[in-house]
Amino acid sequence: MQVRTVGIGRSTLCFWIFVCAAITASAQSTAGQATLVIRGAKVYPISGPPIEHGVLVVTNGKIVAVGEEGKVKIPRGATIEDASGKVVMPGIVDSHSHIGIDPNPLASDSGDGNESSGPIQPGLRALDAIDPADPNIRMANAGGVTTANIMPGSGNVMGGQTAYVKLRGSTIEQMLIPGTIGGMKMANGQNPKHYGTKDKAPMTRMEESALARGIYEKAVQYKAKWDAYNKAAAAGDKAAKQPDRDLELDPVVEVLEGKRVVHNHTHRADDVMTAIRLSDEFHYRLVVQHGTESCEVAGELAKRHIPVSFTMVDSPGGKLETINFDLGCPATLEKAGVKVAFNTDDPINSSRLIIRQAALAVRGGMSEEAALKGLTLYPAEMLDLGDRLGTLEPGKDGDFIVLSGPPFSIYTHVLETFIEGQKVFDRSNPQELRYATGGFGVADRAPALPRGEN
Amino acid sequence: MGVLRWFSLLMFVASPSLLMAENVAVLADHLYTMADGAQGGPGMVLIRDGKIEAVRTGAHQQSPDGYTVLKAAFVTPGLIDADTTAGISGAYNIPADQDQDEATDPNTADVRTLDSFNPNERLLKVLNQYGVTTVQSAPGPRNPIAGRAGIFKTAGTDSGPATVEQLVVRQESAMVFNLGESPKLTYGKKEKAPTTRMKTAEIIRRALSDAKAYEEKWDKWKKDGSDISKQPARDMKLEALVPVVDGRLPAIFNAYRADDIDTAIRIGNEFRLRYMLASVTEGYLIPDAIRRAGVPCLAGPVMQRFESLETANATFENPTILKRAGIAVALMTGYESYVPKNRILLFEAGIAAANGLGMEEALRMVTAGAARILGIDDRVGSLAPGKDADIALFDGDPFEYTSHVQAVLTGGQVSYQRR
Repeated sequence: MQVRTVGIGRSTLCFWIFVCAAITASAQSTAGQATLVIRGAKVYPISGPPIEHGVLVVTNGKIVAVGEEGKVKIPRGATIEDASGKVVMPGIVDSHSHIGIDPNPLASDSGDGNESSGPIQPGLRALDAIDPADPNIRMANAGGVTTANIMPGSGNVMGGQTAYVKLRGSTIEQMLIPGTIGGMKMANGQNPKHYGTKDKAPMTRMEESALARGIYEKAVQYKAKWDAYNKAAAAGDKAAKQPDRDLELDPVVEVLEGKRVVHNHTHRADDVMTAIRLSDEFHYRLVVQHGTESCEVAGELAKRHIPVSFTMVDSPGGKLETINFDLGCPATLEKAGVKVAFNTDDPINSSRLIIRQAALAVRGGMSEEAALKGLTLYPAEMLDLGDRLGTLEPGKDGDFIVLSGPPFSIYTHVLETFIEGQKVFDRSNPQELRYATGGFGVADRAPALPRGEN
Repeated sequence: MGVLRWFSLLMFVASPSLLMAENVAVLADHLYTMADGAQGGPGMVLIRDGKIEAVRTGAHQQSPDGYTVLKAAFVTPGLIDADTTAGISGAYNIPADQDQDEATDPNTADVRTLDSFNPNERLLKVLNQYGVTTVQSAPGPRNPIAGRAGIFKTAGTDSGPATVEQLVVRQESAMVFNLGESPKLTYGKKEKAPTTRMKTAEIIRRALSDAKAYEEKWDKWKKDGSDISKQPARDMKLEALVPVVDGRLPAIFNAYRADDIDTAIRIGNEFRLRYMLASVTEGYLIPDAIRRAGVPCLAGPVMQRFESLETANATFENPTILKRAGIAVALMTGYESYVPKNRILLFEAGIAAANGLGMEEALRMVTAGAARILGIDDRVGSLAPGKDADIALFDGDPFEYTSHVQAVLTGGQVSYQRR
């Protein structure tokens, strides 16, 4: 009896732990379902002109209303945050990042971006190598980034499947955006030629293209076999033999079917044209990534509606294909009618300074309007997420940031970052401030400037 | 004189990048001379023969006859990058244009930046276009004793390609010592010394000690009558270190982690060197130790990538925290191994300005403050009569992302003009 009572006690304890855990979990999700209202700020909805004294209402993680103060109904019981004198805009979408996969050295001693055992790797998935604990992800939050396209590196002609993620959560499953399968990373030009130093292919740009065409032709044939089988099977042909499944070719077929966009690392103008040539030949959708010299062929991009995810750097060079880097390139693309997004290529540029990428394009002659879209709507569109991200409109995800001033001033700081109504960064918290300014690795002994001084 | 004036104007119109005007008046809505006195009011700088002739503050300045007039919203001294590999580490980043690290011997005290400096390197043009008119170009991070830095202008005053002699401000400005990861990784790979921080420190201490002994040997030989048959053998490495142990040539210790910075201070004090600290990534963790040592800091670029453990704790607030501790601070862009090939001092100073320092203090760090630390304030760093006419003109706050450098004068010549 004594023993049995103890037994019951244990299971009761277990039960209560379970209940408590359930209550905690439900409390968290209830917090997510609460209505959050940000009022008083200058709101940049991106879908329309800025609203001087705006109100943003987020319920269940979704935007339910955006508008002028006084014209938007504020729900009863809502949590209200006064953001007078501040600026609110959509969460930033980074269309080219390697955070979590090429981590900060504090989190890992090696990167997992480039599988350098062979130049064609469509079977690889970035999601299998992303470390959600990488502090670079928190640094990206500090820069206002809420969504990222995390990609394999550019060392391979076909580097693998990219992952479209929200920058929150402690597992990749919590990060992945439901319903997305990611894109396909490709690269041409200088980087994949590193195989040449090992006497392996590719050693030339010619071979890079030959390898790319090879895998697409294989996928075309594979798809034809499956199409024939599916047709026969649908017609009730019991003798039809199912082709063997090929994990490498399935994602390439998704590219051919338009379900997966190709994100093609390419810098030099002739390399951009090579990327276009391949996409023309195999009829797939292309995003030009980096596009250092893409303005030289802006007309070719414009007439095909191919967008550019541009990487801004401080000075030219460091590698031959960026030797003609020019701050004015995004402006030229804009004038030609090409949609331009700004990426970090983190770790090339720190995610906490992603707004700076677009600001420097304004310095180079781009309009502020296009530069703002290049941080929000256009990159969202490049990830096929334009219907749920990139603007502050009812029905879209409650991903937004609060800035201390005009978006493109160097003196402006990201104060808060929200993903689906949940705060993921708060500059007023000294621990989180370290992700914005640096030194989080020694945060407990790092002196900081008095809070709010900046 | 009239003919000359017209000639100047014609040149200005025909070829603005090679303006030969001898007399220039720069009118500013906001003039930052960085000399003594209030900053940021309206004013005018008059330039004659490449030097600043006069500075007049106050509104409604009238330029004298015979002066070509340039106007801008903000006018500052040309910026000074206190430590960079620009000029010896080229934009292409291929072996053909990389001359910053002679990583064949951990002690290359005998080498000089001067002998690798490419005055026509395109990165120098890029820096000049961002208002950087003076650089201390220093050997890279790989050798414990890396060689001698020099100070150079980023643009010549003659038309056409320059020679390094035309750009020199100081042929030999400092001896560079490197601590931390880079030396031990460089030589560790080859199974040569140093493979640890201990050995790096020992290599430096032994060389400094040997240099003292070498100097004493020569002094003694001279005292004993300079008998040529008894002359000591010459050693170019030790000879290069003699002015360092004498305090005639400053030492630069490049160090990132706090304990490496502390090692630099320990060695500097032991040998009573005249020295400064470069990079100082974790300097903000030990500002008191740095202040007590009385040593100036050339704070490294905070937008650099975390390529090493020793830079992983870089913070935007480093220059601000060091400055507030009472330490003399300049800013530097250092060495970049990939894209972008060089950080831009103007951009780095902007990050400091936006992270506690404010516009004027950040500007001081890259002008008058840097000039004082490098000992070149007799020529550059402020706009005052007799100084070199190195001037940057901006259409807004120099550090705003969306401002533009409108024009740059180097030695009184328009070295850059925005089209």
